[in-house]
Amino acid sequence: MWLPFSATFERNYLVMRRAFPWSFFLGHILSGVYIIVFAYLSYFYVFRGELNNRFISSAGTGDYLSYVILGGLLYSFSVSLLMIVSRAIITELREGTLEALLLSPSSRKGYYLGYMAQGFMRVGLEFFAITSAGYFFGLHLKNINWINIIVVLIVLILATFTQALILGTFMLYFRDTYITQNTLFVLMSLVCGITFPPAFLPESVALIGEIMPLTHGLDALRMVWIEGKPLSEVFPLLLKILVLGIVYFPIGAVCIKKMEKIVLEKHFG
Amino acid sequence: MRCMSILWAEAVKSHQHNFHNKLVYFSLLIWPALLFVTSYYSFKPFNLSATGPLSAYIETDQIILFLLTGYLAYIFFWSLVQSAWNMSYERQAGTLELIFLTPVSRITVMYARAAGNLFEAVWLFTLFTLLVLLTTGQADHIHWANVPIALLFLSISAIVWGGFLNIVFLFSRDAGILFTIFEEPMQFFSGVRIPVLAFPVWGKVIAFFFPLTYVLDIFRKLILDGAGLLQLIDQFLMLAGVLAILFTVSVLLLKKAEHHAKETGNMVLF
Repeated sequence: MWLPFSATFERNYLVMRRAFPWSFFLGHILSGVYIIVFAYLSYFYVFRGELNNRFISSAGTGDYLSYVILGGLLYSFSVSLLMIVSRAIITELREGTLEALLLSPSSRKGYYLGYMAQGFMRVGLEFFAITSAGYFFGLHLKNINWINIIVVLIVLILATFTQALILGTFMLYFRDTYITQNTLFVLMSLVCGITFPPAFLPESVALIGEIMPLTHGLDALRMVWIEGKPLSEVFPLLLKILVLGIVYFPIGAVCIKKMEKIVLEKHFG
Repeated sequence: MRCMSILWAEAVKSHQHNFHNKLVYFSLLIWPALLFVTSYYSFKPFNLSATGPLSAYIETDQIILFLLTGYLAYIFFWSLVQSAWNMSYERQAGTLELIFLTPVSRITVMYARAAGNLFEAVWLFTLFTLLVLLTTGQADHIHWANVPIALLFLSISAIVWGGFLNIVFLFSRDAGILFTIFEEPMQFFSGVRIPVLAFPVWGKVIAFFFPLTYVLDIFRKLILDGAGLLQLIDQFLMLAGVLAILFTVSVLLLKKAEHHAKETGNMVLF
C-alpha cells in the first residue's frame, strides 16, 4: 500500500507544481473569502449590525461575523475535499491514464490515500488563506483550543471522504464533473447552515442538511471555536458525522468499484 | 439576411452542443433557483421589520420581488458568461479557427453567439420567476404592461455584454479566471441582492463599473414601480452610453485579438 501511496503523492505533487490550473486554487479561496466579505458588508453597511432575535436563539451566538466566517471557511474546505477525491478517477479517464491504473495490481486504498494526502497540502494552504482573511473581517483567534478544532476537522474529513466516493460514482455515471459537483455544492450552501441557521428553512428542506456531514461539522466547529465548548459537549455531533461516514463508506466503496468496471467495459471494450 | 443566417447557425450550434444532455437543466433551473432561495434566507438573520435598516431602501414585504427581479436580470447576464466559457472548447476543438477562416463578419459572429444562446438559457428561469410570483401572491405588484419592453432592454444589454465576453475569450482560453474573480462581486455590487443605494460611496463606485447595475435599475423601475419610458430618459441615456462604450471596446479588442492570433500562430492554442 505504501508504494502506490507515495507514487500517487509524488505524481500529483509534480502535477500541482507544473500543470495545476491555479484558477481552481484561487477559485476555492475566493469562494470562501467572498462569502466572508459580502456578509461583512451586508452586516455593517446595509443592516447596521441589527440582528433578528431568532438568529441569536437558533445560532446560539450573537456573533454573526464569526458565524458566517466559519461557515465560509468550512464550506470551501469541504468543497475542496470533495473535489479532490471525487474527481480522481474521472480525471484519470480524461487524461488517458485510467486503463494503466486499472490494469496495475496496486492497492486502491493506497492510491486514494496518496491522492488525499497530496490534496491536503493544497487544502491546508486554502484553509490558512481563508482563516487569515477571516481574521481581518472579525474572526477571533484568541483563546482557541486548536486540538479540539483539529479533532473536529479530522472527523469531518473522514466523513467527507466517504461522501466524495458517492459523488465520484455519480460523476463517472454521468461522465461529467461540472454539473454534478456544482449541483451538490449549491445545495450544500442552502441546507448546511453556511450563512444562516438551517432552523430558518422549512423542516423538509432542513432535513436534507441532516444527511450532509458539513452541517454537523459546522455546528461542532462553531461550538468549539466561538463558544469554546469542550469536546465532550460536541460529542453527539461528532457521532452523527461518524455515523454518516459509516453509512456512506460501504455504499460509496461498492458503487465506485462497480462504476469502474462499467467504465472499463464501456471505454476500453 | 446574412446576419440572420449567422444568428440561426449559432442558435442551432448552441442547441446541439448544450441540449444533448438532460443535465443541462440543472444549470438552467436548479442552480439559479437554489441561488435565489439561498440569498432569500441569507437575509433572515437580520432585522427585517418595517422599521429595520433595509426599509429605508426597499419595502421589506417586497424582498422576494426585489430578489426575483435581481436574479432574473443576473441570470440573463450570467448565462452568457457560461456561453463565453464554452469558447475555450471551441478553441480546443478547432471550430473557432474554422469560423475565422470563413468570410463572415467576426463581430456578427461574436454577437450572434451571445444572442443565439440567450433565449434557451433563460426561458426556464423566467418561467420559474413567473411561478414564484403566482404562488407567493406577488403577481399583483408587477406592472405587466411594462414587462415586454423591460425584457427587451434586458436582452439587448445582455447580448452586448455577452459579445464582449466572447471577445475577451479570444485572447486566452484561461480567461475563465476573470469570471472566477469578478462574478460574485458583480452579483453583490450591481444590486442583485442588495440595493445599490445602501452601499457606502466606494461601493457605489464599484457598482458603476458593472453594466448590470444600470440595466437592473431600469428593469426594476419599469416592472416594480411602473415608471414610464419618458420618466426614465436619463437612465436610458446612461445605459446607452455604457453599452456604446462596451461595443466600441469590443470592436477594438476583436481587431487586436485577431491580429494577435495571426502574429502568434493559430487560435487553437493560446
